[in-house]
Amino acid sequence: MTGYLIRRIGASIVVVIGVSIFVFLLLHIIYPSPAIDVLGPRSTPVAIKAWNKAHGFDRPWIVQYWSYIVGVLHGNLGYSYKLNQSVAALFNERWARSAYLSGISLVLAILIAFPVGIYQAVRRNTLGDNIVTSLAFVTYAMPVFFLALILIQVFALSLPIFSFEASQSTNVLYVMGDWHAMTLPVATLTLISVASYSRFMRSTAIDTLAQDYIKAARAKGLPEKLVLWRHLVRNACLPMVTLIGLSIPFLLAGNLITESVFNYQGLGFLFYTSLTSVDYPVLLAYTLVGAILTVVGNLVADIALTVADPRIRLA
Amino acid sequence: MRIKRPAFQLAALAAVGATVLAACGTATTTSNNVSPNGSFGKLPAQTGTPHAGTITWAFAPGTAPTWILPVTPGANSSVYTAYQFQAESWRPLNWFPDGAAQKEDPSMSLADDPVWSNGDKTVSITLKPWKWSDGTEITAKDAEFWIDLVKAAVAENPANYGNYSPGVGIPDQITSMTAVGQTLTLNLNAAVNPTWFWEDSLAGVIPLPAQSWAKASATGPILDFTNPANATAIYNYLSSQAKDLSTYATNPLWQVVDGPYKITQFNDTTDAFTMVPNKAYSGPHASPESNLQGVPFTSETAEWNAVKAGSIDVGFVPFQDIPQVKSVEKNYNVFGYPGFSFNYVAYNFKDTTGDFNNIINQLYIRQAIAHLEDEQGYIHAFFYGAAGQAYGPVPAIPPSPYTPANATNDPYPFSVSDAVSILKAHGWTVTPGGTDVCSKPGTGSSDCGAGIPAGTKLAWNLIYSSSPNVIGEQVEDLVSQAKKAGIEITLKADNFNHMLSTYYDSANPSGIDLWAMEDFGGFSIATYPTTNEIFNTNGTFNIGEYSNSEVNALIHASVTSSNPAAVKSEASYITTQQPSLFQPVVDNIFVWKTGISGPPAAFESLTQYQFNPEFMYFTK
Repeated sequence: MTGYLIRRIGASIVVVIGVSIFVFLLLHIIYPSPAIDVLGPRSTPVAIKAWNKAHGFDRPWIVQYWSYIVGVLHGNLGYSYKLNQSVAALFNERWARSAYLSGISLVLAILIAFPVGIYQAVRRNTLGDNIVTSLAFVTYAMPVFFLALILIQVFALSLPIFSFEASQSTNVLYVMGDWHAMTLPVATLTLISVASYSRFMRSTAIDTLAQDYIKAARAKGLPEKLVLWRHLVRNACLPMVTLIGLSIPFLLAGNLITESVFNYQGLGFLFYTSLTSVDYPVLLAYTLVGAILTVVGNLVADIALTVADPRIRLA
Repeated sequence: MRIKRPAFQLAALAAVGATVLAACGTATTTSNNVSPNGSFGKLPAQTGTPHAGTITWAFAPGTAPTWILPVTPGANSSVYTAYQFQAESWRPLNWFPDGAAQKEDPSMSLADDPVWSNGDKTVSITLKPWKWSDGTEITAKDAEFWIDLVKAAVAENPANYGNYSPGVGIPDQITSMTAVGQTLTLNLNAAVNPTWFWEDSLAGVIPLPAQSWAKASATGPILDFTNPANATAIYNYLSSQAKDLSTYATNPLWQVVDGPYKITQFNDTTDAFTMVPNKAYSGPHASPESNLQGVPFTSETAEWNAVKAGSIDVGFVPFQDIPQVKSVEKNYNVFGYPGFSFNYVAYNFKDTTGDFNNIINQLYIRQAIAHLEDEQGYIHAFFYGAAGQAYGPVPAIPPSPYTPANATNDPYPFSVSDAVSILKAHGWTVTPGGTDVCSKPGTGSSDCGAGIPAGTKLAWNLIYSSSPNVIGEQVEDLVSQAKKAGIEITLKADNFNHMLSTYYDSANPSGIDLWAMEDFGGFSIATYPTTNEIFNTNGTFNIGEYSNSEVNALIHASVTSSNPAAVKSEASYITTQQPSLFQPVVDNIFVWKTGISGPPAAFESLTQYQFNPEFMYFTK
């Protein structure tokens, strides 16, 4: 296990470095210097030159990259030209809000999707299965913003039950308690996730139901409830562990659309605004953090699988 | 000149959102909101007894303030930060515009109009006896302080002051200055056009409280800022404080103001802020005065939802939601008007691909293209009727003392047949639906023109910004009409930032042959609308490298002659010459609660990127 972990962490570091070089190069190919985008089209050549010098964009890209990596290793993710704050401060202000929105939606989606998927598998091709399948397809095919707008129109504007926007508090504890403001954004993300997770769960549960050990359990006369609970659920959940592990990066960054529609300042929206203003330091830091979370998510999923399934051994 | 970045950053998202809501809500046409004078909705008369409250004001996505010191770096410079945040607390010497009219509002100006002498090389300006919020009188020294800070800032890095133009205006043209009592006197390095210098530079001087800001640390002594070393130290200290957004509401520096408001809360995550009235404000205002709360939005969809829910007092109507305006008229007044600006498709006079440089150099070609643009049709079809026409660098509306006659009557009205006739009269074999070919090369009046060999085709490309959508809609129609005249224009959509870096950057000459026409949007313009930076041969933003000696001479007169109408002649000639293809200007449409009133000009000025909540009040 220890050897496996060391190998995986080593590989992960290589992946993260590779991603950082790739993104750094890509940005520099498209925008050798973001000066004109940052300063605006009316910026003079004199100002552009001075700005490039002040921010090191007059140096070869490899030197810039090395400076950046050295800074990151010292905890300095850079300074946002446009937002006039350090990237670390920008992340610090937003990560908990994004994590809460995504996290609560993910948990709710799992809690709903798992039993729904199992139910559909067990009651395959019944009226209930068909109805849930239809609803899942409709929701899954629906763009996030479309669903969000419908929920806002119905539950905030036509029937003023909930707020049309998410909580504007920067205190995440207050945000967590503000159900009036957070219900619709959470519901939006949850419904979209439930649609995909339940379909995935149904599929894996149907596969599992066809396994010999299920047949054997039933042949032995094990009550159906125990067959489902002991043999079906546990085995059908295994692929979901990987899926959830891969969802970890989205905890911080996957909610651009929802954050935009619900006026919620989170990391996803920060990335979008940085993209439109070519705010290099924010873009680089965001991608780096995303890469780290992806490899961490994968690693956690692999380890979780070995815990959940004794047949899997890490070598 | 200020570029109008495609502010609708979530245009695609919001546009679809609008479609959805059109299906859900009351989809109505807006024809009865459109006025023949280009305005949208109506401006109600002032009414009711003033009551104080808190006015909530919606900031569009990407426009929330990020810099408080009124010496704003290029990276943070925007009309929103300047006029809708800083200007609430620190006012310039002279206030432009007056409502939507592009002239001074003397009642809001900190100073009287300037007095010129020495052959227009010396100017004196006298400040009114207004006071800082700490009770100190505002003096000429405070104006001098700002100029010295700007000097220090640009000496350190030209990007430290977003409005800096090397060699032009303040501070570079000032050779010496004196500040005695209320009078500031500036000596310039050359004679200037007084109106230009006043409106473009001098009026924008923002007196700052030297008595409390002229220091290099929080506890340091007040320094002599006329000493350049001290000015640099002071600038470095003040800019370091401006970088700390978390202390905007608590830093004692920012509490010394001369504008109608002072900041009390600032959220460095959302950039939301709250301001309270400056009780010592010496200028005109409602009484009692309301508090102000700036509310940023992450998308236009979110802002429009807030308007529909009635949760915001003063908001804007996103372009794509104009058809939905009827649904909020029960609770809101609605008014829109074009900002003082122009949109244009730039021509690349250096693009040698297919001899485009020689083709576009012919005035008759530019006139023919102008005939292919259906501005009225665009406004009706793509702008929901909410836009004003613009045939040159000065749009037909809003009203300006410098609007030339040919700015209000299209000199080249839409007519494909006229375009075809022009081309045929200049030696082109016109093939509607195909590609025209030069069949009569030469330089005579009925020939194709200099540098255009026989067989040259009228075919080139047009790069356009994919956001907002209305840019694409206009150029697609242009291409369609051009095709009828046998001009083959190939469209290529691009990202705004990538366009700037690839096709716009004067520091990147390798991109000069990559484009023939380019549509990135346009510019909002100063009240004195010279195109010095855009169509002058050496203009900083002359991206297509247009060069015309007559235009240069007229621009020179606008900037240096004593003739106050020189800029009008410049605009008129450029309208005739069509160095670019001018396009309609969309209305900036605002809504405010029916329970809020004030002088109509206070609401009219919203359309000109101003926000003057000190005049607004609740009627109950």
